[in-house]
Amino acid sequence: MKLTTQQINQLYLFTRQHYVEYYDLQTELVDHLANAIETEWEQNPKLTFDEVLNKEFRKFGVFGFMDVVESRQVALGKKYNRIVWTDFKGFFTIPKIILTGFLILAVFYFLKEYYTIEIFRIAMFFLIISMLPFLFFENRKMKKRKQETGKIWLFEKIIFNYGTFPWLIILPIHFFNIIRIDRTSNPSDLALFCMSLFIVSMSLAIFIVLKIIPSKAEAYLKQTYPEYKLENL
Amino acid sequence: MPRNDKKMKNSQLYKGSLNTIIMKLLEENGKMYGYEITQKVKGITQGELNITEGALYPALHKLEAEGLLDVEIEKVDNRMRKYYKLTESGQKETVNRLSELEDFIRNMQSLVNPSPKLEF
Repeated sequence: MKLTTQQINQLYLFTRQHYVEYYDLQTELVDHLANAIETEWEQNPKLTFDEVLNKEFRKFGVFGFMDVVESRQVALGKKYNRIVWTDFKGFFTIPKIILTGFLILAVFYFLKEYYTIEIFRIAMFFLIISMLPFLFFENRKMKKRKQETGKIWLFEKIIFNYGTFPWLIILPIHFFNIIRIDRTSNPSDLALFCMSLFIVSMSLAIFIVLKIIPSKAEAYLKQTYPEYKLENL
Repeated sequence: MPRNDKKMKNSQLYKGSLNTIIMKLLEENGKMYGYEITQKVKGITQGELNITEGALYPALHKLEAEGLLDVEIEKVDNRMRKYYKLTESGQKETVNRLSELEDFIRNMQSLVNPSPKLEF
């Protein structure tokens, strides 16, 4: 006996009730449960839908779907980190290295000319300000889509929550607050260069996480989920 | 003594080989979906080995993230079905892991069941 569309919807609801909030995982689990229920019905046709469902759900163990959700989160988190790292490396290879090198030198000469600790703080301040629009507006895209479709894709959530990198966004705020060392010191060129390299690398990493990857979110989702295309026709 | 089937599925001994089992099955069958894999293993081992759902999907997701598996979606009846298949690097890796597993089996065999020594 095949499951009806209504029963399939009931299975989706069941996964949601058991803390699977992501549509991609729900779909995989729904198909699994549906197959298991259909097989079980061949042997015990008298059991009700709920009885068979509970029997099959118990096979997932005491933590239910938790292990499946967690493992998927870890796997996709790694995928996200790989994307960030590849994009970051891209700024240090030809042709982008020219732009990166130029930025580092520009910051270096600027620091050399005008170095005071205040300059560093002002730079951090501008970095924080320039991050704000992305933080507020990019995130709304995901929320809006969730409202429209009622679906969250796990990889989408990782992208818009910046994976494991929220600390990166807080970093400039820390620097802004923490740096209150003596103003009289006159750092060496090497120290200034390292500082420039650090500021540029940090800004690039933030730019990748906040702007580049979210702007390509659609493409990443299509690549990760073949069903994404079917759903969003 | 009859074997205890229920316990076998939890055995630590099988855990390390789960990925290889999955890859081997995909090599033989092309594309498969999760439930199909559990049933296939049950069938081949005549019900002695039961891959638990809580172990199968994490393994599949890990292999997919490592780029060894690729996914396909098909609409079957009134639901969507996610198929897994080996990527090119997955196929190469399957060969490696199978030969590793075979070595392991052979070594275990000779450790557990040493052939009698004829020397005196």
